[in-house]
Amino acid sequence: MAFNFNWSPLIADTERVRAMLTTALNKSPKPPIIVDDILVNELNLGPTPPDLEILEIGDLAEDRFRGIFKMSYTGDAYLTLKTRVQANPLNTYLSTKPSFASPQPLAASSGLTIPLQITLSDIRLSGFVILVFSKQKGVTLVFRNDPIESLKVSSTFDAIPFVREYLQRTIENQLRVLFMEDLPAIIHKLSLRMFNPEYQALEEIRSQAAEAVQPRIDPFADSSAETMGGERTPADGEATETYASFSQKNLLRLAALSESQRTLSLFTPAIRDTVYRAWATAADRGQGMSGYSTPNPRIATLSRLNSSFDRSATLSSTASITSGTGSHITRPSLVSNASAPTTYTLGSGRPRPHAQRKRKHRVVNLRKTAVENDASDVVSQSSGYDDSISASESRSKEESSSVTNPSNQIPSVLREGEVSTPPRSPKKIVGFTTDKADGVASSSTPSRRPITPLHKVIQPPDDDDPTPRASMVLPAKENEKRPQRQHLPRMQTLPSRPKGELYRSHSEVKLPDLSNAFNEGSTGGILEQAWMMKMASEIARRVAEEKSGGERWRRTSDGGTSTGGDAPPAYAS
Amino acid sequence: MLEFMDYVQSAFYAGSRWNTDNSYASLTAATTNLLDFRTPNGVRLHVSSLSSPNFATSYTLGNKGVVDGSFSFLFSNLGVKVASRSSAVYLGHLVRGYRHLQALRKPEDASAWETVVDGKVVQMRDALLYGRMYLPGSTLEALYLRRISPSRLLSIRAVSGAQLPHGGTLLAQLQNDQGKYTTEYLCSTDSALLGFRGLYNFGYDPRDQNSQLDSSAPAHPWDHKSGRLSVGAEAYFSPMNKSGGLSTGLRFTTLPVHTGIPYTMTLTLNPLMGNLSSSYAVKAGSDLSLCTRFDFNVYSYESDVTIGLELWRRESSTAWARKMLGSAWRTAPRPTGEGAFVSSDFVTKQEDATGVVKARMSAAGKASLLWEGRVKELLVSVGAGFNMKSTTRALGSVGLEVSYSS
Repeated sequence: MAFNFNWSPLIADTERVRAMLTTALNKSPKPPIIVDDILVNELNLGPTPPDLEILEIGDLAEDRFRGIFKMSYTGDAYLTLKTRVQANPLNTYLSTKPSFASPQPLAASSGLTIPLQITLSDIRLSGFVILVFSKQKGVTLVFRNDPIESLKVSSTFDAIPFVREYLQRTIENQLRVLFMEDLPAIIHKLSLRMFNPEYQALEEIRSQAAEAVQPRIDPFADSSAETMGGERTPADGEATETYASFSQKNLLRLAALSESQRTLSLFTPAIRDTVYRAWATAADRGQGMSGYSTPNPRIATLSRLNSSFDRSATLSSTASITSGTGSHITRPSLVSNASAPTTYTLGSGRPRPHAQRKRKHRVVNLRKTAVENDASDVVSQSSGYDDSISASESRSKEESSSVTNPSNQIPSVLREGEVSTPPRSPKKIVGFTTDKADGVASSSTPSRRPITPLHKVIQPPDDDDPTPRASMVLPAKENEKRPQRQHLPRMQTLPSRPKGELYRSHSEVKLPDLSNAFNEGSTGGILEQAWMMKMASEIARRVAEEKSGGERWRRTSDGGTSTGGDAPPAYAS
Repeated sequence: MLEFMDYVQSAFYAGSRWNTDNSYASLTAATTNLLDFRTPNGVRLHVSSLSSPNFATSYTLGNKGVVDGSFSFLFSNLGVKVASRSSAVYLGHLVRGYRHLQALRKPEDASAWETVVDGKVVQMRDALLYGRMYLPGSTLEALYLRRISPSRLLSIRAVSGAQLPHGGTLLAQLQNDQGKYTTEYLCSTDSALLGFRGLYNFGYDPRDQNSQLDSSAPAHPWDHKSGRLSVGAEAYFSPMNKSGGLSTGLRFTTLPVHTGIPYTMTLTLNPLMGNLSSSYAVKAGSDLSLCTRFDFNVYSYESDVTIGLELWRRESSTAWARKMLGSAWRTAPRPTGEGAFVSSDFVTKQEDATGVVKARMSAAGKASLLWEGRVKELLVSVGAGFNMKSTTRALGSVGLEVSYSS
């Protein structure tokens, strides 16, 4: 790697540099011997740039950089200062003493101010410097040690050796302080001004307001930026943070995500424009699927419908977005339930109660207990969920996290089912097909609480409608997997679901049907979509199994009703 | 206006027969009184009392910072006999203006200070002890005066404060007044400053028995019979700083016997710094005094001109009657002769004034205005400083001081 110094821009902008240096020099209280302000007369940085030797690179990217260098400068830069000094030592001595005990001379302490011009040249610097560059934050330069090796001070008093030595000593000390403390701040401000025109405009506004401006909040340092990949889109509608790296919404979602992973919360925020590792495997299969179905299973692994914190603003917005796009929702809109006006929502206009981690019952009883109407099932599902929702309303703190409640919104249910449900054994879906009655029965109750009445099992895809639909086909596929499912150990702790229904799986199976039923979307790839969803849900369930293990245990504490004798073995969690 | 404690101190000087004019430090006293008066800054209240001729107290309260104040005590073994009530104190003694120098006297005999107490000869030594405590900043000022001999005065001043370097400063001064000449030696603990001041008066030598104060008419205006020419010098040296200062001065002032308008001319010179300062003060009338001063620096060519005036306002209730008095009755009786000592600070010539206005203006744009007077029974001082050349702040400082003493 090589460094290419474009030394000229800094030299060209000496007017501003001079002003800033003057301000810095006059900021601290001056000794009484200096009568006037210290003005920077001339500043010339010389033609040769300093030599930098890279010692360590800490961070390197297209728009940011951090490194430790060994810097040495042997150039021709010079600086000229102009001020006025008091020549009468008695004057400076007596001016700082209380007048009561001062001899109060008649005329011996009268002052004589002499203009003084000092030129600092032959500056030799050598030291370790930490250079941090970022496009948004500018350049920061900090010296690790005292860099000044030697410098030559020449002034108008050069003829008097005593004064010359005194000046040399004093100015060297002052410059050391300046380099270590003031220079980084000056360079930082200068770089911000040059690299960021918005900062410039803002600075002018600031200076006009003459108010102390709060420091810009850079929520995540450079280190965390890498974890977020490329998520540096400016916040939506937040023009104030002109060079903020992160959108506020994304930040909140990320915080929610990390919190959900830490606290086993069932809610997982939906983060748009993200790539999840789990998608990698499913991506092969889901090439042709519509947007909303493809990411669903992946999202399901990470997101939880239950929201435990108030991100209503962001979530509801995402909800609105998702609901607005209908079937083209590209991400599981957990929040969408709350505000989704789509017809999918059955009686769900109200905000969802949340904190329903315990409520979520994602086990779908794939055994056929009853063959019912799809619609009725759906209704029952929704109603069941409604009940559960209402029941759990009191517990929930978050309204918008009704996203987590998939019941009210059928199309999103599937997504949410993926999103919010704890991992389910994919085999339940399998079992669903063969034993529709079981599945229906098992999946009939979406309730998350024992109180909720056990509704009819979700109707298996087969219904009275003889029209061939994917739903008819799905069960067939699920049938294949059902035997596997049977062997799954039975989870006794399934609460609120008499038969360990995997409602989600059922719902997700149904979702394509419903979406087709309600949508005039193409029916071409429905079959594939359904299968994809099924596979995806299996993966999702497997991954989320571990996480939701605790939830299952908690659910039992709800006094969950027994799952019923017929319930297929719940997934082993 | 003198503060109460300074007033009592000057009364101590007068009661102890110490000539405060005969010092190099007061070479330009008339000019500094007229041109370098202090204007109050902020609001300040003084409450003072001369509880007994030996003891005085004073309290001040001001609004510098939030509140600041001080209290002070003074003790003197010489009873101070001076009017102290603010309703009765003579304003002319408080407000210093043009000074008529008092006559030179040869130092008293040591026998004059001996008294017999219980059959023993005891030397009376007048002493004064004064202390002042500034409250918010916890600074302590202390002063000790002692007339160690009829011609010597020892004064020790100290300031003690936590924020001061080395915790404080001590200044010791020994003044030696021989009438014709005076010398002063001083040393300060702050950077070990040593100083010397000397003043020499030309002409009349009070120690000489033969030379009498010539009362014949002066041959020319510059005859020193009616005027006094004095020359003095001062030098300071600090062994620690290896620095010092030097200055010399010349003064010619007219004595009270002068028939014309009294005036004083001074010239001071600092040869090291090249500072030249000349002033001319004149007492234009019984109530009006004027003064000008010109400063110049031969090295840096900096110069300044300052003009000041002082205007007294007297009660006019009995002025018409006084004009009818004969010349012999016009002035208050005063002791005459060399033996008599009248301090120039306590000359009471006329009826008291009700107020005085002082103003000064300099070519650098700085101006000041001050009114001091008596309101009811309080002494009030109102002043303001202006800076004409400054575009941002034309009014520098405004202040009000109210003083009550009993």
